[in-house]
Amino acid sequence: MLQFKLVLLGDSSVGKSSIVHRFVKDSFDEFRESTIGAAFLSQTIKIEDKGSQQEVVIKFEIWDTAGQERYKSLAPMYYRNANAALVVYDVTQQDSLAKAQGWVNELKTKVGEDDLVICLVGNKLDLCSGEEENSSKPKAVESSEAEGYASEQGLLFHEVSAKTGEGVRQVFQSIGEKLYESKKHELAASKGRHGVGETGNVQLQRPSTNDATSCCS
Amino acid sequence: MMDVERSRYSVHPDSSGSGLRHSRRETALLIATTGNGYPKKSPSMPNFHEKPFKNPNVSEPVLAANGFPVGREYVAENFGVQSLTDGDASLSVIEMYGDEVESRRPELEEGRDEDAESDEVDLHTSAIPPSSTIVPNSEYFDRYGFKKQSNVITEQDYDEWWKDYSQYSVRRKHKWKILMEKSGLPMDNDSPNRFPSRSEKLKRYVRKGIPAEWRGNAWWYFARGQEKLNKNKGIYDKLLSKMDELLKAKTRLLPDLDIIERDLNRTFPDNIHFQKETFQTDDPPMIKSLRRVLVAFSLYNPKIGYCQSMNFLAGLLLLFMDEERAFWMLVIITSRYLPGVHNVNLEGVNVDQGVLMLCIKEYLPEIWHHIMPPNPSKNYSLNNGTSLLSSNDFLYKLPPITLCTASWFMSCFVGVLPIEGTLRIWDCLFYEESHFLFKISLAIFKLCEPELIKLKPPKNGIGKNNILGQRGSQISNGENEMEVFQIVQAFPKQLINPNELFDRVIFKRRFSLNKLDQDEVDRCRKYVSSQRLKYKHYSEIMGTGHRNNSNNNNNNSNGIGIVSSSSKPTDGDKMAGDIINDALSSEVYGFKKGLGGVHWNNSIKAKVRQMRKKKG
Repeated sequence: MLQFKLVLLGDSSVGKSSIVHRFVKDSFDEFRESTIGAAFLSQTIKIEDKGSQQEVVIKFEIWDTAGQERYKSLAPMYYRNANAALVVYDVTQQDSLAKAQGWVNELKTKVGEDDLVICLVGNKLDLCSGEEENSSKPKAVESSEAEGYASEQGLLFHEVSAKTGEGVRQVFQSIGEKLYESKKHELAASKGRHGVGETGNVQLQRPSTNDATSCCS
Repeated sequence: MMDVERSRYSVHPDSSGSGLRHSRRETALLIATTGNGYPKKSPSMPNFHEKPFKNPNVSEPVLAANGFPVGREYVAENFGVQSLTDGDASLSVIEMYGDEVESRRPELEEGRDEDAESDEVDLHTSAIPPSSTIVPNSEYFDRYGFKKQSNVITEQDYDEWWKDYSQYSVRRKHKWKILMEKSGLPMDNDSPNRFPSRSEKLKRYVRKGIPAEWRGNAWWYFARGQEKLNKNKGIYDKLLSKMDELLKAKTRLLPDLDIIERDLNRTFPDNIHFQKETFQTDDPPMIKSLRRVLVAFSLYNPKIGYCQSMNFLAGLLLLFMDEERAFWMLVIITSRYLPGVHNVNLEGVNVDQGVLMLCIKEYLPEIWHHIMPPNPSKNYSLNNGTSLLSSNDFLYKLPPITLCTASWFMSCFVGVLPIEGTLRIWDCLFYEESHFLFKISLAIFKLCEPELIKLKPPKNGIGKNNILGQRGSQISNGENEMEVFQIVQAFPKQLINPNELFDRVIFKRRFSLNKLDQDEVDRCRKYVSSQRLKYKHYSEIMGTGHRNNSNNNNNNSNGIGIVSSSSKPTDGDKMAGDIINDALSSEVYGFKKGLGGVHWNNSIKAKVRQMRKKKG
């Protein structure tokens, strides 16, 4: 099993915790308590090694953070040693994309591009699906705008709805695949050299006792 | 969705009374139609808040001259009746729904140690059913309106615990009443607004829990709220008028309004008083009050403005007291008990986390090793012989566990423990002041200890550094960090019985953590904040500060990196770090030590203090 640290960043109330809960518990609450400080959760996924066609299990250790501006001073503690970052914005709030871009800049300057897979995620897609006339909000951030920015910056990009679950799994799936691709050579090399199954922050075979308590909120 | 319903039915299979059953069905229907997975108010729940909120500006004082909320008696007598006077703004929830679990037990306790909790037997004879008759929806919600069930606690767990704890509450209230009478504070109603003078006995009573119905008044009394209010008469109204003006003018002069709005519906979404009925378009009164308190506060103290977590503080206060009092209590909490914690730079949080880490190191050394990852990159300490133990650099580079414990302080344990535990902590906070927050944090760690020491000791990664590059060591530490974090994060959430904390730790003199007192915490806070300032200052002088938080993958900089830790530290950096750490590590904090073998009780302490005064 490979283990990756993933951190969630983004403006307050864009739905960071909701995305995590959809991914980890497959549940959704319309109103979720604001996150104070940090919450830690974990979840595993399976991906396929494209070469050997073998299944690879990936465990994400997810750090969910508070979104308010002033919590930013605590952020370095979260993204220290992170392998991946989910930078979330709300597709109905133009401001939140600007905030997300701020996070991307911070990550790039503070963590370094090589070390980190960043995924830009637009949440609350359900609000502009048009299915519920009354609750439908205009989409303030066009997909093309965010997507353009993401490809310019070399980020993964997804639009999701934590409420319906649309796209959430794919976010983590694509991050897992990208991390695996980038780490697998390193991994093989390290295995060959030392017979130790770890390199970088990729961790292999943690004690299984870990798993029983791994998911909490 | 279906799971929720099923569990609801299965928990109460044999509930009698057709009325109850009916309401349960309706609730289930509501649940089924709301579609968001949590229960809405049952139609049978009396809703005092449905009436329009008549005094949004609280233009008249909401409290009568005697300090009682207007209309209180009225409600007490007409419980469940819909019409309320304007005074409903001033009613706390507990007054409206309060568990009227009055002890009707004759006074048989007089001669006994009033504190003994060994009186379970005689109580069962006078058992009063818990609040079920008062709060029709008590099946799913507790006496404060919180959903009983949480992620880790089932309704069944809750009901089982409450069966005993409600009896405990009755016993405690009975003892409180005796104490009140003895102190010449006769109880002619269930809403005392004066309390006995400070004593060891009262402290013990507070630690065992203030009766729920009295909490609002007791907190207000112990925190000296009235004093604050008297000095600031009319200020709250003025702030509200200012808020209205600014809102009407539609200027952007309420910078925090937006962020407050986002949190209003995210404050106790599981509490019935904060929930909106599906058919309501308007905000529930509780949400309106919360908005006013938070906006007024942001105008009153722009240095803090609004900080996430204050929504929970204000929200909990509003369940127990009227708006104006809640506002002043919020002012008191954020200035007296948690100074600087909610400020824009959150430095107060960092200081308090530094203090907590020092306390853990001092009082819980066994746990300290698990929290503090070994730091092989302490070149400076190896070079100049400074012992690792005396090094205090964790004060500037806080260990990761503080990401968890910071929220304990910011929200004063709201959401950290099940609600009853939080309330018990608040009882003590207002009576004993802020050191109690540290004490209870230590107590939680103490109870976690068996789980924590089960973890394998953190590996020392020095050897690995050479093979795998410095990251190698990070891995083993990181692994341990995660496990510690998980335990400390999850443990308090399942502590349904607050007496676990109190009886097993707080009331046990043999634990040295109980020596921690307010003087110590005040001293410690001063020390940590000055050390952090010095560190920052030195770092700036030495020119390492600018790389603040820069790529710190490679060494064990554990925290809000004031410290520089670039991926390839230069010799210059190392030297600068050495010098700073060297300079600061000579200033180690010394805890007051109790005298060995001597019972260091409060009277001795008081005597010593007197002696010191005379001297100085």
